[in-house]
Amino acid sequence: MKIIILIKQVPAVHEIRINRTLGTVQREGFDAMINPDDEHALELGLSLKEKFGGEVYAVSMGPPQAEGALRECLAMGVDYAVLLSHHRFAMSDTLQTTFVLERAIRKLEPFDIVITGSKTLDSGTGHIPVQLSEALAIPLISQIYKMEIKNGFFIGERTYGHEYQSIKVKLPIIIRVDRGFNEVRFIPLLGIKQAFEKKIEIWNFDTFECPDEIDGCEKSPTKLLEVIDEKIIRKNVEIIGTNDEKAQKILDFIKKVHIQKIKSPLDLE
Amino acid sequence: MNFELTEQQKVVRTSVRKFAEEVLGPNAPIVDKEAKFSWETKKELEKINAWGISIPEKYGGSGLDSICNSIVIEELARVCASTALTVTVHNSVAAYPIYKFGTEYQKEKFLVELATGKKLGAFSLSEANAGSDVSATETIATQDGDEFVVNGSKIYVTNGGVADISLVGAKYVSENNDKGFAILIMEKDMLGYEIGEPEDKMGMRGSSTTALYFDGVRVPKENILGSLREGFKVAMHSLDAGRIGIAAQALGIAQAAFEMSADYSLHRVQFGRPISKFQGVSFKIAEIATKIENARFLTYRAAWLRDQGKSFTKEAAMCKYYASMIGREVCQEALQIYGGYGYSKDLPLERFYRDVKITEIYEGTNEIMKAIISRQVLQNL
Repeated sequence: MKIIILIKQVPAVHEIRINRTLGTVQREGFDAMINPDDEHALELGLSLKEKFGGEVYAVSMGPPQAEGALRECLAMGVDYAVLLSHHRFAMSDTLQTTFVLERAIRKLEPFDIVITGSKTLDSGTGHIPVQLSEALAIPLISQIYKMEIKNGFFIGERTYGHEYQSIKVKLPIIIRVDRGFNEVRFIPLLGIKQAFEKKIEIWNFDTFECPDEIDGCEKSPTKLLEVIDEKIIRKNVEIIGTNDEKAQKILDFIKKVHIQKIKSPLDLE
Repeated sequence: MNFELTEQQKVVRTSVRKFAEEVLGPNAPIVDKEAKFSWETKKELEKINAWGISIPEKYGGSGLDSICNSIVIEELARVCASTALTVTVHNSVAAYPIYKFGTEYQKEKFLVELATGKKLGAFSLSEANAGSDVSATETIATQDGDEFVVNGSKIYVTNGGVADISLVGAKYVSENNDKGFAILIMEKDMLGYEIGEPEDKMGMRGSSTTALYFDGVRVPKENILGSLREGFKVAMHSLDAGRIGIAAQALGIAQAAFEMSADYSLHRVQFGRPISKFQGVSFKIAEIATKIENARFLTYRAAWLRDQGKSFTKEAAMCKYYASMIGREVCQEALQIYGGYGYSKDLPLERFYRDVKITEIYEGTNEIMKAIISRQVLQNL
C-alpha cells in the first residue's frame, strides 16, 4: 500500500507572531513543530503501514526550513520525505497550495491513500483536503472513528451530523483525521538517528513542469486584508451573600449585559 | 568553535521533552511518594529506545552521540529524576562498559538485550567498607577451573532490585595465585545471587537501590569484563562516562527548579508588584540561570570530548562536581523563591531538593572529584 501524508510545519504554539505588513505568520527565527492535526495523520499512516505493509511518504510544502518537520516525520517512521519548495510557491493561498499538492501527489501515482489533518494551527482554513479531493477527483473521507482496509476498499464508520454512517469506498481516497482520532506515538531515538541518514527530496517549480497558473504571490485569488489580534478582556468579580443573593446578582449581571447587547448599533432597534 | 546543538541533537531534546512531560510527568510524584519502581515506565522507555542511547545500532542501540545521551538524561531528569537515574546507570555504567571493553561473545550475549531494554543493568562497586576507596573491596572471586566463585556483598546498588545483569567489582585470586581487581558480569538468576531489601532513601525514591549478596556465585570466566588485570581501568573509565550522565541529571533537575521559580517570580505579587521586581529575587534568578548555563557547557564539553575519542577524565569530574553542586544550590534558591509553598509536598520543589542532593555523592563523591581534578591539573603543570 502506498500512503501519502501531507504535513505542514507551523510555529510552536508559544511562538506565534504575525507579520503585519504581509498578513502572514512570521516563521523566521522561531521554534517550529509539525502541525498537531498532521501528527494524527502521520500516526494513522504509520499504523496502516504496520498492518498492511507498503510505503509511507510525507509531503510538505514550505520554505527550506520545513525540512526540520520532515526530518521528524522520518524519525517517526516515514519511509520517504518530499519538500515542495520554490519561490513561486511562496505566499500561496489554499487554492494555489492545492494546485502544487495535486501535482506532487500525481507524481507519486499510483497511490492508495492520502491522509491529511483537519486544519493547520497557523491559518486554520481547513480548505486543503476538500479542494484536493476535487482536484484529484477522489473521495474525501472525514469524521471517521473506526476504519479498516480490505480488498482495496476503505470500510469504516463516521459521524455525520446527528447520524452515524457506515461507509465503504474504493481506494484511492483522501482521509482527513481530527485530533481525537488516535494517540500519536513518541519519536524513538533510533528513528532520530536514522532520520538524519535519509535524504529529503526537494521538488520545485520545474520538477513537475508547473504551468504559469502556479504563482503564489501573483495568482492567489485570496487576499488577506488585515490581521487583528483577538482580545479577550476578563475581569474577576467577587460575589458575596447568601445563595439567593448570589443568584440574584448573577441574574442582574446577565440582564445588564443582555440589555447592552440590544442597544448595540448593529441591532435593528 | 560552535556552541549550537546540531539539528539531530535539537530533535532529541524536543522529542524526549515531550515524552518526559506526557509519560513521566503524571507519574513522577507518585513513584516518589510510594518509593516504587515503575515497570510501565520501563516499557514506555523501551518504545523510545532509551536503553541503548549511544550503543551502536548493530548491538540494538540507537547509536547517538554522547551529547544526545546527555540531553536525554537531562530531559528525563527535568521531569522525573528517579527515571533519569535508572536510565543513565543502565546506559553509562552497565551497557557502555560491555560495549567498550566486552568480548564479542559478551556483546552478543549481554549487550543486545541491555541496549534494546529487554534486560536492565546495574553496576556495583560500593561495599560496607569500600566506597571512595576501591582498594578496600572485600568481595572476592576465586578461580576454580573455568569459573570464578564469588563471595561478598555490595551496597547502594542503583537498579539493584530490578537489574537482570550486574557488573560487579571484585578482588580476584586466579589459579596461579595471581591477584588483582576484576569486573564480572553477573546474572540475577545465578545460584547464590541474592537481592537485599530496597533502601529507604531521602530522594530518587522511584529508582531501585538495594544491596546484593553473593554466596558462592559461580561465574564463568568468559564473564570477566575486559581482561582480568584490566578491572580497575574498566571501572574507572566506566565511572568517567557515568559522571557525565550524573551531571546531566543534576542539570535537568536544576533546569526544572529554575523554570518553576522564574515563572513563579513573575506571577507572585507582594507589596503590589511581582516579586521578580525585587532585586532580592531577580538577582537569585540571574545567579541560578548563569550557574545552569555554566554547568551545561561543562557537561556538553565533556560529552563532546568523549565523542572525539579524547581523554575526558578531568572534564567528567569537573562537570559532575560543578553540576551537582549548583544543582543543589539552584534547588535551594528556587525553593526559597517559593517561600512556604516550596516547602509543601503539593509542589515538586521539595522533591527536586531531595533528589538533587545525591548527585553530589554518588558516582564518586564531589570530594573524590576534586581529588581527580587537582591530580589532573597538577600533573600537567
